[in-house]
Amino acid sequence: MDILKTSETQTVNARSALMEDILTRLKSNFQTYAILFALGALWILFTILTNGAYMGPQNISNLFRQMTVTSFLAIGMVFVIVTGNIDLSVGRLAGFVSVVVAYFQANVWFRQIPDQPLLSAVLSVLIGLGVGLLWGVLQGYIIAFLGVPSFIVTLGSMFILSGAILLVTQGKTIPANQPIFSDIAQGYLPQTLGWAIGFIVLVALLLRSLNKIRRKRKYGLQPPNIGVELAGVIITSALVFGYIYWVNEYRGIQTPVFLLALTALVMSHLANNTRFGRYAYAIGGNREAARLSGVNIQRSIFLVFALMGLLCGIAGVVLASYVGYGTIAAGQGYELDAIASAILGGTSTLGGVGTISGALIGALIMSSLTTGLQMLNVAPAWQYVVKGAVLVLAVYADVYFKRSRQ
Amino acid sequence: MSQGDVILDIRNVTKRFPGVTALDNVSFQVRRGEVHGLCGENGAGKSTLMKILSGVYPYGSYEGTIIYDGSELKLVERPIQRARELGIAIVYQELMLVPNMTVGENIFLGKEPVERGAIQWDRLYSEAGELLAKYGLNVSPRAPVRTLGVGKMQMVEIAKALSENAKVLILDEPTSALTEAEVDRLMEIIANLKRHNVTCIYITHKLEEFFRIADTITVLRDGKVVASQPVGHYTLEKLVGYMVGREMKERFPKRHRHIGDVVLSVEGLEALDPNNPTRRVLRGVSFDVRRGEILGIAGLMGSGRSELVNTLFGEFGRITRGTIRIEGQEVCIRSARDAMRYGLSLVPEDRKLQGLVLIQSILKNISLPNLDQFAGFMRIDEDAEVVAASKQAKSLAIKTPSLQARADSLSGGNQQKVVIAKWLLSNPKVLIMDDPTRGIDVGAKYEIYKLMDELASRGVAIILISSELEEVLGMSDRVMVMHQGRSMGTLDISEATQERVMAMATGLDEIKIV
Repeated sequence: MDILKTSETQTVNARSALMEDILTRLKSNFQTYAILFALGALWILFTILTNGAYMGPQNISNLFRQMTVTSFLAIGMVFVIVTGNIDLSVGRLAGFVSVVVAYFQANVWFRQIPDQPLLSAVLSVLIGLGVGLLWGVLQGYIIAFLGVPSFIVTLGSMFILSGAILLVTQGKTIPANQPIFSDIAQGYLPQTLGWAIGFIVLVALLLRSLNKIRRKRKYGLQPPNIGVELAGVIITSALVFGYIYWVNEYRGIQTPVFLLALTALVMSHLANNTRFGRYAYAIGGNREAARLSGVNIQRSIFLVFALMGLLCGIAGVVLASYVGYGTIAAGQGYELDAIASAILGGTSTLGGVGTISGALIGALIMSSLTTGLQMLNVAPAWQYVVKGAVLVLAVYADVYFKRSRQ
Repeated sequence: MSQGDVILDIRNVTKRFPGVTALDNVSFQVRRGEVHGLCGENGAGKSTLMKILSGVYPYGSYEGTIIYDGSELKLVERPIQRARELGIAIVYQELMLVPNMTVGENIFLGKEPVERGAIQWDRLYSEAGELLAKYGLNVSPRAPVRTLGVGKMQMVEIAKALSENAKVLILDEPTSALTEAEVDRLMEIIANLKRHNVTCIYITHKLEEFFRIADTITVLRDGKVVASQPVGHYTLEKLVGYMVGREMKERFPKRHRHIGDVVLSVEGLEALDPNNPTRRVLRGVSFDVRRGEILGIAGLMGSGRSELVNTLFGEFGRITRGTIRIEGQEVCIRSARDAMRYGLSLVPEDRKLQGLVLIQSILKNISLPNLDQFAGFMRIDEDAEVVAASKQAKSLAIKTPSLQARADSLSGGNQQKVVIAKWLLSNPKVLIMDDPTRGIDVGAKYEIYKLMDELASRGVAIILISSELEEVLGMSDRVMVMHQGRSMGTLDISEATQERVMAMATGLDEIKIV
């Protein structure tokens, strides 16, 4: 009874708790805001240097489309790195999926089911996702249940997949530019559909906020400040409508960007609002504590790699459609872009920390750099140098600010 | 080098952090060759003071003067190394050794004897051996550190400090992980150091130790010196009074127990070390624990106490024989998840390494083992989670501005409360607590004791393991004693004296179970 009494006197003022809550959220997302700021600065810089051409609707449309393949890999990589693992095979796995899909498009459907582009495309997608998932399941099994370190398994798998790509392509380029299939990464949504999506987002955001307030009331918790909540909805939908307006000026919402947005939403939900996500972060934060809390570590890590495989499958399908070919170099080096994006976006190499949205912004920065440097006619050699330097600088800035805040 | 002159004279030292004054005009003197006890609750300023002495907070970051060995101590450039060179060495509570290196390599790490760029291994080991022998440290210089127990590791740490000709050796909570026998051994070593005119500053939460070893005791409270006197000036009660600012008559709360039926019973349990299947860690353990009862498990380090509870929790030993029954039903526990399903909870020995995800919020730590309560298909009800966690946090009086604060921002006592909160939320029938008050201050200890009593009075069966025998005797209703992986019998608290328990723990006495 004594215990209860002392607690009542210590009940913290609800309002200051709210402020504290907002502050800790700001602090904990410090790197995300910093990186958003960097992205803005980068865009302004390139816009000035290109006399405004950089922000043109066509360029912006291409820029976002370009980031999609590595973004699929980067959002999966967040989970992998958060659990304290690494996956070096993602680039080659996406590449392998892309040549397998191209092979079916060019050689199989063409003979078995001619003149059925929709059915062919659907079957190709299913095969692509299946191959990715299967490979992820295999890697996950070896890493989680047989206990071989992920670095080794995925390094080996990178070699194996490079060989497999050569086997499938026989060293040649396979065309994958058939109708409908090529729309997956090259198509655009009709402009009216674009606007409709914008309104759906707005309504969904409003409903979400209302639901949040209603539920907090139900549990007798301090409901969020309505003003703050509304401001969030307005800012987010303004960004979405702005984006839709701008890409509609060109040809409309890019299909792969739409697919990426859907995938990222699902993955964000997985990360924050499911046991699977919570367990992944807990394992990365303290494996021993997670184990003693009843978390099935093997199962969690297995699932993370299976999911990574599935995302490689998606990336591979988009890659084949985007390039229009399955080539021997498909996906080479993409794993490094994916890792860099995740880390730029605040994922900690020590595990336990990282967000999907951060990884997307990271990927956007990488893609913005590439596009901008290309427009300025910077030689490819120097593009690599700049990207590498930006990665190291960004992480150094984070380390520096963390140190000075202590 | 006359014994008894002042080696360390701390004058009016003040250290401020934004918003807090950690040390407030602190002055006291340490005499050469003495053992100087330093005590105070967590946050009293002990560690801040030690960080100043060891150069973590360099000269200029605090106010006041420190006279060390006749001249003013000014640690400016490379302050931590400089402090060591001047002969101020510190042995931290968390041991800092490289487990895969040998004792000798660890002692000479960073200062290996070198000739033309090559390490002189023979010289290194012979010097390490001499050093260990000189101070009576019974460790082989070629033994890999990972094969040593905590007590021996501590000796290596001390040897490492002495190898740099330490004049002042600071021991920060040296006995928190030691058994009674190891503590005795450490006391001998300290006495031996005294003969070699090495000054020791001794920090501990186990106040009895001061009366065994210290010549002088300085008590800090809220950053101020409240007493600095020869040991004869104090009694245990007086010391506690200085620390908490009031007389504390009772160290353990009154009992309100209603003991019920047997919840957990273990019979003839035998188990192997999963990492080394030739080693038998449990060799016949039998006991039972009832609703509303606190069962203490006593035993020396290595007696299998922690191994037993971890095996019960499905996370350690490979069981070869014996049965575990929960409410009469025989169960098979293969993982923490199984154990939780049967209503067992474990507050593990090391809260930082095993109990908490330090980089995560208090909320997430409390809900981690209990997510099934809030999770539907593909969704966690975060509001229900907050409600449940804040209820626990309130009833345990966890001191924090917000549940969103990171677990590593809390003091040791509050961290331990978070660990307890996360397990209480799972509504356990049996709560196993492995050394629940290790390294936390007197006030927080008492709160945890009160909490244990309250839980027991609500019908939870508690199994308590502690490296402090007094704690086991002060809290338990019955005491089970272990020796070399076997249970030597269970004593009712009325017949459990320190002497009786120690006799059983060392294998001299055994109750034959009929």
